[in-house]
Amino acid sequence: MSESSELVRLPSSVALHARPAGAFVRAAAAFAATIEVRANGRHANAKSILEILGLGADGGSELRISASGDDAAAAVAELAELVARLA
Amino acid sequence: MTSTNGNSFVGLVLVSHSAAIAGGLAELVAQVAGPDVAIVTAGGGPDGTLGTDGGRVLEALRQADSSAGTVVLADLGSSLLSVRAALGELTGEEAARVVLADGPLVEGAIAAGVTASTGASLAEVAQAAEEARSVRKL
Repeated sequence: MSESSELVRLPSSVALHARPAGAFVRAAAAFAATIEVRANGRHANAKSILEILGLGADGGSELRISASGDDAAAAVAELAELVARLA
Repeated sequence: MTSTNGNSFVGLVLVSHSAAIAGGLAELVAQVAGPDVAIVTAGGGPDGTLGTDGGRVLEALRQADSSAGTVVLADLGSSLLSVRAALGELTGEEAARVVLADGPLVEGAIAAGVTASTGASLAEVAQAAEEARSVRKL
């Protein structure tokens, strides 16, 4: 069991809605780790599309991605990279 | 129905009194869930009226049928009755691959669609649709 966390910023033109949110949740679901995202003072289970949409994370928002579990480091690294690549 | 389609992802059937609601929701779910999840709608009554139509639901169930299974979400009251009537027309084997989920139509379809797009099982997709009831919006 390990823990990992990273602060990332959404590209200025991309909100974590609709297609990007779906891509994020699909990627998160591939990991066994428990993954949480914090933004705008809210937090969401990274594997729940409804919770992720509920963050209301607009373009340029900071996201704190934290994970706990055997593959936590890989999960955080992949999700951080996915966020940076969103377009 | 003679055979199921080869889709390995759980599919969705969306049932509404309004064809516009069902169609618009299908577009929204497809955008969030991506192209792998089959979404079939049964919206409106006979002759394009507002209402529900068991025959149209049955057609949608048959169109959506896949070996991975189908989750059905419906909007209100008689939509559920139409789904139950349509399920009654399926063979036992066909009906065993269909779950009518007790969740809100919009949130349930989004949650189910994204869960299905991860390759999740029929039970997991149905559970995602039902858990949508308890996710707070505010």
